[in-house]
Amino acid sequence: MAAATEHTAPMQPPRTETGWIGWARFNLFGSWPSTIVTIVSVPLALWACWAGFSWLFTTADWTLVTSRPQQYFIGIYPTEHAWRPLVGWLMVSVPFGLAAGMWRGAAERIAIGYGVIALVAGLLPYGMMHEGVNMPLDIRLLVLGNLPVLAVSYWLGTTEAVGQPRWLIVGGLLAYVLSLLLLTGLPGVKSLPLLADLPGVSAMEAVSPRLWGGLMLNLILSVSGIVLSFPIGVALALGRRSDLPVVKLMCVVFIEMFRGVPLITLLFVSQVLVPLVLPANFPVNSVTRAAIVITLFSAAYMAENIRGGLQGLPPGQAEAARALGLPGWRVTVWILLPQAVRNVIPAIVGQFIGLFKDTSLVYIIGMLDILEIGRAIVQGNVEFADNGRELYLFVAVIFWLITYTMSYASRSLERHLGVGQR
Amino acid sequence: MDNRNSDAAMTVDGQSNGVDDIIVCRDVHKWFGRFHALRGVTTSVARGEVVVVIGPSGSGKSTFIRTINRLEKHQRGDIIVDGFEMTDDIRNIDAIRREVGMVFQQFNLFPHLSVMRNITLAPTKVRKLPMAEAEDIAMELLERVGIPEQANKYPGELSGGQQQRVAIARALAMQPKIMLFDEPTSALDPEMIKEVLEVMQELAASQMTIVAVTHELGFAREVADRIVMFDEGSIVEDQPPHDFFNNPRHDRVRRFLSQILRH
Repeated sequence: MAAATEHTAPMQPPRTETGWIGWARFNLFGSWPSTIVTIVSVPLALWACWAGFSWLFTTADWTLVTSRPQQYFIGIYPTEHAWRPLVGWLMVSVPFGLAAGMWRGAAERIAIGYGVIALVAGLLPYGMMHEGVNMPLDIRLLVLGNLPVLAVSYWLGTTEAVGQPRWLIVGGLLAYVLSLLLLTGLPGVKSLPLLADLPGVSAMEAVSPRLWGGLMLNLILSVSGIVLSFPIGVALALGRRSDLPVVKLMCVVFIEMFRGVPLITLLFVSQVLVPLVLPANFPVNSVTRAAIVITLFSAAYMAENIRGGLQGLPPGQAEAARALGLPGWRVTVWILLPQAVRNVIPAIVGQFIGLFKDTSLVYIIGMLDILEIGRAIVQGNVEFADNGRELYLFVAVIFWLITYTMSYASRSLERHLGVGQR
Repeated sequence: MDNRNSDAAMTVDGQSNGVDDIIVCRDVHKWFGRFHALRGVTTSVARGEVVVVIGPSGSGKSTFIRTINRLEKHQRGDIIVDGFEMTDDIRNIDAIRREVGMVFQQFNLFPHLSVMRNITLAPTKVRKLPMAEAEDIAMELLERVGIPEQANKYPGELSGGQQQRVAIARALAMQPKIMLFDEPTSALDPEMIKEVLEVMQELAASQMTIVAVTHELGFAREVADRIVMFDEGSIVEDQPPHDFFNNPRHDRVRRFLSQILRH
C-alpha cells in the first residue's frame, strides 16, 4: 500500500473544488438552506450598499461636524484655553511612540494609524472654532506637532536605555497625570496678588471640570477606569479567594453590590446622594466622582474575570510552587497571577471596551461626552435637525476606531504571549 | 531559629537503626472529609535510602508522600523531617520544603517561564542566590539530566520526558536533602519513561534520599532499598525488593503484583 502511493504523482483536484467556483459551491450553495439564504441575502446586501453609498456621497451633509470639530473633541472647554488639551494630546503621543519603537509589529501599526489621524486632523481645511473660522495656524501646528513627538519617542523607544516596559509605564502615567493637571489649571491663580499679573499666568487659570467634554471626557474617564480597575480587580479577586473570612466577605459584598446595580444608578448615586453625605466644599468634582464610580463598577467585573482565570489554573501549579518553598504571596504573584491574567486577556480587553463605551452614560448626570454634545448640536440647531444620521455615524466611527484598536492590540498581545497555542 | 525536635531521631519503627532517619512518621492519620485516607502510618526513611511506594489507586500512597512536605496536612500523628517537626508553624513548613524536592506526575512546570527561569526562580527568590550563580547551577543540572540545549525554550515546546527532566532539575536546584517522586512516569509515553528513570537511577546512586511512588517494578527491583506497599490507607508490606517480590508476608501483595504484572 505505502509503496504504491509513493509512486503516484500528485494530481490537481477537480476544478469544481477550487478557485472561486469551489469557494462559492462550498460557502454559498453548500446545502438547500444555505442556497436560499444566499439568494435572499445577496440582493439585500447589494441594495443596502447602494443605498448607503448613495446617501453617503449625495445627501449626507457633514457641516454639523466640520463647522465645530472642537466641541466633539473637547466639549465646551473654553476656546482661549484650547491649546491645553492639545498639549495634553502631544503628551499622550509619547507612550504611543515609545510602545511602537519598543515592540514594533502591531504597536507600530497602531502608532502609524494614530499619526495619520493627527496628520489628517491638522491638514483638513475645516474650521477648528465653532464660529466657522478656519483653524488658526498655531492650533494646526499643535495638532501636527504630534508627528515629531511620535517620531522622537519612537526613536527613544528603539534605544536600549529608554525602550523598556518600565519607562513606557512611567511615560504613560506621566502623560496622563500631567495632561490632567494641564486641563485643570491652577485653581485660585487669579486671586494671588502678585502672580496674577505675570504674563502667562492667566493662561493657566483653572477650568472647571464641568466644562470638560467631548471625546476628551470619554478618554479621561476610560483611561482612569482601565488603569485603576485592573489592580483593584486583582486585589478583589485575591481577596475573594482569601482564607480570611472577613476579607473574603468584604470583597464578595463589594463585588456583588457593584455588579448588581446598573451603572446609571451608580452614577446618580455619585452625583446626587454622595454630595448630601459629604461636606459642602468637599474637593471632589463631578468628573472625579464619575471616574471613581466607573472604575469601581469595572473593577467588580474585572475581579470576576481574574477569579475565573485563577480558577482555571491546574492546582498542580500552586502545589509545585509551594513544594519549591515559595511563600504564599509569592506563589500568587509569580506563578498564579501571570498565568491567570494571560488566560483571560480576551475577557479583560472586552471589559475595557465595554468600559470605554459605557463612558457615554455620563450624559445622564449632565456631562457632555462626545455623543451627548453631538445630540445637543443636532437638537439645538434648526439647520441640523435632519442631520442625525451623519452625527451618529460620525460618533459611531470614532467609537469603533478606538475599540477596534483595543481589540487589535489585544489580539497581538495574545499572539505575543502564546495564548491559544496550547 | 533552629526548631529541630531533639527526639527526632528516636523512632518506634523497628526496621531502621533509628539513628540516622531523615524522615520519621509515627501513627499518621489523614481524613478527606469523612474518608479516612491514611490510617496510622508508621515508618521511617534513613539518610540516603531509596524507598519505592506502591499500591492500588486510592490506597493513600500519594497522600502519604504529599504529607511529607505539607501539600496535604495530616490530622493526627507526628511527621519529622530532618529534625523539623511538621506543625502548623509556617517556619517549620518552609524549612522542610527547602530540604524536600518534589516531582509530580503532571510535571507542573510553570508554562509562562522559560526552562531556565523555571529552575532559577526558587533559588533566587527563596535561597536569595545571585542570578548568575543560579544560572550556573541550572546549566549544570540541565547537563546532568541531559538537556542543556533546551534552557531557553518554554515548557510547552518540550516533550513529556524532557519536561519531567526539567522538573527534576528544578527540584534539585534547591539542593534538597530528600526527593519525593509522585508517579513521575505515569503521564509519559512508553519511549520516554526510560530517560526519566535513568535520571532517577543516577540520582539514587548519588546518595540522595528518595521516596518514589511508582508502578515501575523494574526500577523498584533494581534501585530501591525498600519497597513499601500501601493498601486502604495502611502499610501492608515493607521489605527489601528481593523479599518483597519473592516471599511477601501478605497475601494482598501477591494479588496486587499479579494484577499489575498480568498486563
